[in-house]
Amino acid sequence: MPKDLLYEIGVEEIPASFVLPALDQMQDSLREGLEQARLQFGDVLTYGTPRRLAIIVKDVSERQPDVDQEYKGPPADRAFDDSGAPTKAGQGFAASRGVTVDQLEVRQTDKGSWVFAKVLEPGQAAEDVLPSVLSEATKSLSFPKTMRWADLDARFARPVRWLVAMLGEKVLDLTFAGVTAGGTSRGHRFLGSAAVQIDAAAGYVEALRAQYVMADHEERREQIRTAASAAAAQVGGRARIDDDLLTEVSFLVEWPTCLAGEFGAKYLDLPEPVTVTVMQGHQRYFPVENEAGRLLPHFITVRNGDDTGLDTVRAGNEKVIVPRLDDAEFYLAEDLKQSLDERAESLARVTFMEGLGTLADKTQRLEQLVAHLCACIPEADVDVTGAAQRAAHLCKADLVTLMVGDSKLGELQGVIGGEYATRLGESAPVAAAIAEHYRPRGPRDAVPDTLAGTLLSIADKMDNLAACFRLGAIPTGSADPFALRRQAQGVVEMILRGDLSINLRKLVKLSLENTPEPQLEREKDAAKVLSPAAAADALMGFFAQRIDYILTQQGVTYDVARAVLGAPWSDVLEACERARFLSDLRANAPEAFDTLVTAGERPARITRPEELPEQLTVNEGLFQEEWEGKLLTIAREASDAVAACLAASPPDYTGAVHALADMAEPIHEFFEAVMVMVEDEQLRNNRLALLRVTDEVFMHVADFLQIVREGD
Amino acid sequence: MTFQKLLFTLSEFWGSQGCTVTQPYELEMGAGTMSGDTFLRCLGPEPWNAAYVQPCRRPTDGRYGENPYRMQRYFQYQVVMKPSPDDIQERYLASLEAMGLQMRQHDIRFVEDDWESPTLGAAGVGWEVWMDGMEITQFTYFQQVGGLQCKPVTAEITYGPERLAMYLQGVDDYRKLNWSEDVTYGELRYQEEYEFSKHNFETANVAMLWALFDLYEKEAYAQMDAELPLPAYDYVLKCSHTFNLLDARGAVSITERPGMITRVRRLAARVAKAYVSKREQLGFPLVRRSEAAAN
Repeated sequence: MPKDLLYEIGVEEIPASFVLPALDQMQDSLREGLEQARLQFGDVLTYGTPRRLAIIVKDVSERQPDVDQEYKGPPADRAFDDSGAPTKAGQGFAASRGVTVDQLEVRQTDKGSWVFAKVLEPGQAAEDVLPSVLSEATKSLSFPKTMRWADLDARFARPVRWLVAMLGEKVLDLTFAGVTAGGTSRGHRFLGSAAVQIDAAAGYVEALRAQYVMADHEERREQIRTAASAAAAQVGGRARIDDDLLTEVSFLVEWPTCLAGEFGAKYLDLPEPVTVTVMQGHQRYFPVENEAGRLLPHFITVRNGDDTGLDTVRAGNEKVIVPRLDDAEFYLAEDLKQSLDERAESLARVTFMEGLGTLADKTQRLEQLVAHLCACIPEADVDVTGAAQRAAHLCKADLVTLMVGDSKLGELQGVIGGEYATRLGESAPVAAAIAEHYRPRGPRDAVPDTLAGTLLSIADKMDNLAACFRLGAIPTGSADPFALRRQAQGVVEMILRGDLSINLRKLVKLSLENTPEPQLEREKDAAKVLSPAAAADALMGFFAQRIDYILTQQGVTYDVARAVLGAPWSDVLEACERARFLSDLRANAPEAFDTLVTAGERPARITRPEELPEQLTVNEGLFQEEWEGKLLTIAREASDAVAACLAASPPDYTGAVHALADMAEPIHEFFEAVMVMVEDEQLRNNRLALLRVTDEVFMHVADFLQIVREGD
Repeated sequence: MTFQKLLFTLSEFWGSQGCTVTQPYELEMGAGTMSGDTFLRCLGPEPWNAAYVQPCRRPTDGRYGENPYRMQRYFQYQVVMKPSPDDIQERYLASLEAMGLQMRQHDIRFVEDDWESPTLGAAGVGWEVWMDGMEITQFTYFQQVGGLQCKPVTAEITYGPERLAMYLQGVDDYRKLNWSEDVTYGELRYQEEYEFSKHNFETANVAMLWALFDLYEKEAYAQMDAELPLPAYDYVLKCSHTFNLLDARGAVSITERPGMITRVRRLAARVAKAYVSKREQLGFPLVRRSEAAAN
């Protein structure tokens, strides 16, 4: 009879963000472990609270099935002597596998004749196999950060204090970090029993519920959502429930009870993002708003426990939030005493990045970059340009305010600048551009709403990227301390969303030329510095990776994306357009696409190897064969045709591709008629030069060598 | 519960848990962690359980005595247990009950908060403990101190006694706290807060402080060369406090800051190493003692 498996790791309060990923890992590694152990099983359920990671696997088979196992022994001529009698080696092997000598089999393998023993291995009982499966799953759990405790070597997210491991009603024999598994869990810290007897997996959730632990995190989450809404309704508003905060809070409590608290209405004069951050960010409260979405002077907090002493808890929480709001009120009053222009000046005293001057220097660069961008974008009229310029000048000023200086409110940089700009009389477009210029802050954040904000954000991110690449601080693997991937991704997203035709190559070059020569004290740091040209190449490659990612998200196959980005490109919109065109062509006219690839990859393959000279020039005087001259003429004509098609607005990709396809036949004829890799070096190099000219024609559109075809 | 009663209660409680109740260390320092009773004793293999009050000085936190919650000199109640006992959280909660707090009436939570001190080359993993949304304790399992891995691991519990007492007495200004039945915190310490805020922010002699920083640093190295890690550590503490004073005077520029922190950290790491090897030379006396007790 199959039985249910229960495994619970009891821990001291584990960080909220660690729980779900750990449960996923446990689920994956248990499934894998059970499959490898040849145990059948049914549904897998996970439960997580601040103090436990638990998993139930339904219907685990009681035993492994028996299997025929085959073992390879010594070579046949060593196991048996010439007369066919078993040698010592033969007898030894048979004995070691528990069979008699005449049960040994001799079989021919590709390495000669060998002896084999076939053994029927009876399956083991699940309870004997499971401890090592669970133990492995526990040891292989990875967390963003682990720790040691007491005098143990074990590492875990927080100290492990108890383990429950049961198959059916039987406790499994398992030890981790000095803790031996049993059938006893623990209830809620203050409301439940310190020893909760678990009879079997089936009763786990209910046994804990009786001890004030709601083990099912989904249930807890929904319970909080409902109760928070009800508590908000009682004070005449509705709870503003951020999904991430809701998840976090659900992993901070085992038995949630929601309650509403109040603060003085005067604090509603604070910038709303500040009040919300004080509530959500540090205290993990849900703000309360009215029908129109305006904040009310209430908050909802989730208490870990029942409704005993709720008034005490409420009063305590109300007391905590007031000094924080007082601080913010003080910052606001002090900060508004100085103009943003004065603050922008004082940025000359703040270092931007080591060796790259101050934030005042950075501000100047932003103004130049924004001017360049505004000049490139036809939609950036006088108003947009004016707003973007002014915003560029003021956008970093909030970094020297008390409000942003408070570590708990620092994440509001930009937003505070926007608020202050409004309160100090800047125009709405300027304030908006300042407020938006860090967006998108992550993959789920929106790009700026205004064009001025978008251009300033692009300029800011380009300057950060240029600075880091110049310092040689290029992200590798998972190490990306300056979040450069996110910033490059942001630039690409803004360009695509805003349909902004920008010459990125030029922008990269300009950003790098603007960056000052790094002044570094340590030799180790100075050695990493890249020249502007090398940094530009690296940065373009970095952008290509981001665009590559976006294109594959849109359904363009990775080889087409790579082919386009591997050929010279400068405009993100155009490169994406070209990739999509080729991708469609491949889908709709596979034969035409194939012809193109065949034609394009041949000259590429023969002329690319690194051992060939870098510079080769065609000398028509050295032509010997008719097809050499012919191909050169055709390539030159095609080059002009392709360039003209691509220069058209919008680019005529169909025309360009036709022009390339017309070269397929001549290229084929050329290779039939002309031997390229001849002995004579001069002649050979001249032919290679001719093929490079041909290759370059294709490279206007894509590097077809990157295309993967069936059979490659 | 008066402020002094709260301190008595904590000492009484942790004394009964096997902690040696040592006394405050008499040099200026920014946190109870910096006392040798924590910083040095948590190093090496020797078991160590101690509890003590430590006055802390953070010059930049001064508000001329006028802010109800912030002071440039305040107290920490510090508990360290090495190796960390399995029931350390339960013991901590029992200490709150000893102060008269009923767990059922409050919302007590352990909220993730890892601790790091660049100046001490130290890092730990743990929580801030919240009571009804208010942080009342920092709870840390030391992982690294003075650049050395901690094994066994010390559990450190740092209470904010002023906050706790304000809560228990239901007052919202430190000045109104009853220190004893007869005297308030404000009566005892307001003048001090005012004068030291003035000193820290306005009148401390910057040139003298710069000179002292260099002298103290030099002396710390000299004492280490003499193989006297404890006197050397005194000079490290003096360096650290002098740096904090310079910082409060606004004399340390953004670019100078990391360099000075590195200088103090380098000293602290040197002392940590020297202390462990000195204890080793002495045969780790507290290991021998605990082994003898076990037999």
